[in-house]
Amino acid sequence: MTIRRLWPQSLVGQVILLVALALFVAQAINFGLLLRERNRLTLTGQTAPLAYRVLTALDQRPDRAAARDGRPDRRQARNIRFLAAQPALGGKPRPDVANRARDMLEDMGLTVRQVIAAEDSRVMPLRRWERLRLRQGEAPDDRRVGRLQLAVEYDAGQWLLVEGRIGNRPPRFGGWLAGQTLILYIIVLAPLLWIGRRLARPLRQLTASAQQFARTGAADPVDERGPGDVRDLTMAFNAMRARIIAMLDEKDRMLGAIGHDLRTPLASLRVRTESVEDDAERARMSDTIDEMNRMLEDILSLARAGRSAESPQKVDLSALADAVVEDFVELGSPVTLADSARAVALVRPQQIRRALRNLIENAIVYGDRAHVSVSHLPGQVRITVADEGPGIAQDRMAEMLEPFTRLEGSRNRETGGAGLGLALVRAIMIEHHGELLLANRPEGGLEASLVLPA
Amino acid sequence: MSDRPHLLLVDDERSIREPLAQYLSRNGFRVTAVDSAAEARVRLNANAIDLVILDIMMPGEDGLSLCRHIRETSEIPVILLTAKSEETDRIVGLEMGADDYVLKPFSPRELVARIKVIFRRVASGGQRVTAPDGATYAFAGWLLKSQERTLVDSEGVSLPLSTAEYNLMLAFATRPNQVLSRDQLLDITQGREANAFDRAIDNQISRLRKKIEPDPKNPTLIKTVWGGGYTLSAEVRKL
Repeated sequence: MTIRRLWPQSLVGQVILLVALALFVAQAINFGLLLRERNRLTLTGQTAPLAYRVLTALDQRPDRAAARDGRPDRRQARNIRFLAAQPALGGKPRPDVANRARDMLEDMGLTVRQVIAAEDSRVMPLRRWERLRLRQGEAPDDRRVGRLQLAVEYDAGQWLLVEGRIGNRPPRFGGWLAGQTLILYIIVLAPLLWIGRRLARPLRQLTASAQQFARTGAADPVDERGPGDVRDLTMAFNAMRARIIAMLDEKDRMLGAIGHDLRTPLASLRVRTESVEDDAERARMSDTIDEMNRMLEDILSLARAGRSAESPQKVDLSALADAVVEDFVELGSPVTLADSARAVALVRPQQIRRALRNLIENAIVYGDRAHVSVSHLPGQVRITVADEGPGIAQDRMAEMLEPFTRLEGSRNRETGGAGLGLALVRAIMIEHHGELLLANRPEGGLEASLVLPA
Repeated sequence: MSDRPHLLLVDDERSIREPLAQYLSRNGFRVTAVDSAAEARVRLNANAIDLVILDIMMPGEDGLSLCRHIRETSEIPVILLTAKSEETDRIVGLEMGADDYVLKPFSPRELVARIKVIFRRVASGGQRVTAPDGATYAFAGWLLKSQERTLVDSEGVSLPLSTAEYNLMLAFATRPNQVLSRDQLLDITQGREANAFDRAIDNQISRLRKKIEPDPKNPTLIKTVWGGGYTLSAEVRKL
């Protein structure tokens, strides 16, 4: 989970993280090798003087030296001793020094039986040049360096013990590694970041434009820039956008033409009905024409859904519901409105009016009367239209939202429209990022709610 | 104006033009019906026309262009017929100086009612109330947007109005600081749709007050004039 969360989602982020990880691993391997080499060098540096000392001492073995002039070499006596038994070395054993010494001696053609080495922290005497420098007034080095002892069994039971100083510890180079890594990161990641941003900006714009297009059906073309392949993508997107807009415009033009062409004969028919003598017959004819016109209106509205020219504005939905209900009351329709406080949301008012009118008309037709209420919940405003009809069977709820679906067996069947009312309401809600909810009320009747983000 | 007002009906659709001309004739008008804007121009010059009924969508010169021409050269009232319900068409039409618009398919009775409203206004020497639609009126921190039938408060929040409230508000906004009697208000607001407003004027006034008055009990904007009626007591700017 944690790794998931840390893993960046963006393309550039992932590339940069990957490169950074790879760089870090390479640096770590590099560092490991370097450290090993450095340790070997240090080891060699510590071992070599002792090995040479052994070599020199054996060249001037005391038995030979004694055979020549009967006394040991005094210069060497201080740190070279010949022993007839294995010496007990105090301090920390240093098998690495012992092995290295054996290798070195073997390289120089001297095979020994056994090598042991140990390190303790004896203060070593000053070297001659150090004494000289001290005398010249220079600050002394830290003399508390360790003592390294190396014992070699050069012949059965014959041991040689030499000692030397451990050189100063090499400075830690963790900081050096950090610095180096930082420089490397800057050199590699900075251009990568630059390229990434160059890549990401047009992609981001493309995404924003595509989202805007999906939402509103209109978007500005995206600037064609950035790397070649991104530019190609942008160009393709712009071409697609232009084509879709052209198709939608064509659709709107066509719908307009259809609307016009159908309304003209309807208008002609409507005028001619006035010459019908029978009043009842004339009224029925004009009702039918009105209904055809309403259906035409609904179909055109549904087909245009999502391409509204109306711009969203802050609207008090309580006042809107009040105005719509008032229009119904004015015509003598059985609609009531519960008092409610101001509830402001960003909507296209004409469309919300339309949606609410459709719900109220449905409620009157199928549920005898409509009770409208507006409630302001956190983050949303809900306009609810409740009726007193039979409601809708649960399994047919979803179906009711589809175009051309009508409630079968309604006793007001002959007054129904094309079955586009709820489909249109739903289309309007989708355009508003809202929702149309249908539910049967426990006390009977259907409750339809427009849920709008506020 | 003779006792039989002379109407010029301009529509390229014969199926509408002919029965409509017949209907209007039966209802007491003299009707000249033509099928194009060009023909209409000829008739306008030759005859004393009292009112023009004009279809917007016509081949050749369209209704909007003819409407503009009529408005530039005379005071003859114009009613536009349109088959499009798009707001833009309506607004453009009214901006061109039309007095009213009728959406196809329309009830011929309603058309006659609207013609009579216009003649009544002309006869009473009433001012031409050109293009209420599309205009915005500003008063006392409020905006009345006629296109959207909406009041906008000082915070920019829209308060939609019912048709009756809107008609009443528009009547006040176009006649600020005039005392309007109930009868006058009825007459003005009835123009659009001949509904039973009679019982409703006082009711609508109180609804409007609830929406726009800081204190509806002590109205400062829509004031009651003792024995006279109501008045909108505010400076109104047309935007």
